[in-house]
Amino acid sequence: MSNVNTVVFTIVVALFVLVACIGLAASRWRRADDMLHLNEWGLAGRGFGTFIGWFLLGGDLYTAYTFIAVPALVFASGSIGFFAVSYTIMVFPIAFIFLPRLWSICRVHNYVTPADFIRGRYGSRGLSLATAFTGILSLMPYIALQLVGIQAVLTVMGVEADSTNKYVQDIPLFVAFVVLAIYTYVSGLRAPAAISFVKDTLIYVFVIVAVFYIPTRLGGWSHIFGTAQTHMAAINPETKKPNGTFIPTSKSVGSTQLDFATLALGSALALFIYPHTITGALATKRRDVVKRNMALLPAYSVLLACIALFGYMALTDKPTAAAVKKAGNTQLAVPYLIQHMFPSWFTGIAFGAIIIGALVPAAIMAIAAANLFTRNIFKDFFKPDASPRLETRVSQWASLVVKFGALAFAVWLPHTFAINLQLLGGVWILQIFVMLVGGLFTRWFHRWALVIGWAAGMIYGTIAAYNVHSPTSSHWASSSDIVFGHTVYIGLTALVINVVLSVVLTVVFKAVKAPEGADETLPHQYTADPVDAPAPEPAGVGAAASD
Amino acid sequence: MTEPTATPSTPGDPQRAAATRQTNPVAAHPITSLAIGVLVAAAILGTLIVPIYARETPYVGDFPFFYFYLLIYMPAVALVLWIAMLLQRRLTPRQPAGPGSPGTAGDPVSGGVR
Repeated sequence: MSNVNTVVFTIVVALFVLVACIGLAASRWRRADDMLHLNEWGLAGRGFGTFIGWFLLGGDLYTAYTFIAVPALVFASGSIGFFAVSYTIMVFPIAFIFLPRLWSICRVHNYVTPADFIRGRYGSRGLSLATAFTGILSLMPYIALQLVGIQAVLTVMGVEADSTNKYVQDIPLFVAFVVLAIYTYVSGLRAPAAISFVKDTLIYVFVIVAVFYIPTRLGGWSHIFGTAQTHMAAINPETKKPNGTFIPTSKSVGSTQLDFATLALGSALALFIYPHTITGALATKRRDVVKRNMALLPAYSVLLACIALFGYMALTDKPTAAAVKKAGNTQLAVPYLIQHMFPSWFTGIAFGAIIIGALVPAAIMAIAAANLFTRNIFKDFFKPDASPRLETRVSQWASLVVKFGALAFAVWLPHTFAINLQLLGGVWILQIFVMLVGGLFTRWFHRWALVIGWAAGMIYGTIAAYNVHSPTSSHWASSSDIVFGHTVYIGLTALVINVVLSVVLTVVFKAVKAPEGADETLPHQYTADPVDAPAPEPAGVGAAASD
Repeated sequence: MTEPTATPSTPGDPQRAAATRQTNPVAAHPITSLAIGVLVAAAILGTLIVPIYARETPYVGDFPFFYFYLLIYMPAVALVLWIAMLLQRRLTPRQPAGPGSPGTAGDPVSGGVR
């Protein structure tokens, strides 16, 4: 702890304590009569309006990992990193098409998780289990990555103790995580919702200041873009290829326009089927709130574009670029840039913003994973008569298990492993797209065909991602591989395989008249807009009776 | 379509009636529906078709076109989706009874007792 800047450290700790207090106090916010119900703990009473919904969804979608990894990718490879900008634009019109329908059907039937909907729609616990399994599998490394983001900041702060002992080194991370686990356990979704106000405000302040101030220190935007362009075109002595691209190329292999577009499209399709974003969306009280937020959230994406540009700023600032190179970890680009550009007090605010930015989505992801476990594994397969009270208790404990699982991930496994798994997480979650979004519009697909399509997509995606190699690493080198001579995002290829199989096999299964399963939803319920949140009582009792 | 027993809506009839009235807003307003479709599709395609903007020139200020386009496209999408949402409201006739009730619609942010 020898080289810790006390001002930075004090501000970060103060912000952290503030957030912890808000998180604990949030259990009293908009308090319901019976807090021991999943609609309360897991969805904060399903009563958020446009305003709170905006902060919650914004805090949920834009994770700390985004703030760290996107500029890191821009720093390392140039324009391809901007696929994230394109993706966060595209995601809103796409979600605008299907998210209101998902909201309505979940509201009418009191579904808490996407897998609840799958079970109700296809009358298949197996399909719902596949959804829950995929969701939890994709969320674990995502949570772990939030910790990797926090670690990047802590490393630059110099807080990691001067010990070679891994456990001692990671004490600050442990402390942050225990506090996070406690307030999530106590307050459920109310905690991240309340904290997201602090997060979003801090992030906004930090990014706006940075984007106007830093260029003045670095000789203006023309110098920043000029340096980036020169650097990306320069030949890397290790790989004998250019460092990166400044504009996506029109060639067929490499950081191409097609790669850029498929990465953006695949990620955009994936974002709003991640269980944690659905959790955020279901916590809103009206159908219009969801729609309105699709039009309002792009305001947040503007921030992301600015953050992506930090990658070029870090490249232009020589001391920062040198420090990153020395550490051999591009994830440190933004923290080093902040530290080098700003006075201590503002560095403290910025670092606090990133750390809090990690805690909000981590909490929501843990809640979403816990709800999936409770509703679609514990209740469906082990205790069909579980009361709402028991469900909530199980979810609370499951959220702790999920979080400590993620902590173990981040501490014991190499970081590259967590990052690779996150890459895979995106590929995996895309495989529930057909059953979930397809199911919102049509009951044509056969449930068995969907399961097989899902399995094929999962297997193909995993193997393809494993096999990608580069001059510097033998596996997991990238999330894109070469199909028919063109570089394409693996998740999208897997999705195409999934869709084709689902369609073909549906025709087959329908021809042989395989049992379809009961559908408990009705067409008009997909556009319904019930004012009242689903009543707490029938949730546990009634749903159990329907099996 | 089979009628599942588990459907919670006991007062099914009025809901049904409302539902049939609303079933086909698209057919009732073809032009508005088309406009919504075009707006949403344009919002997606404008960033999905990368060749439109994957070029360095012309510079806008100090920004190469590629970066300028991505930055400016976001507020544009926000605007387009807002218009699409307003158009969608015209499709669904205002439900007469329940939803308009002032109690819930009126307090978007209140942190107090619900």
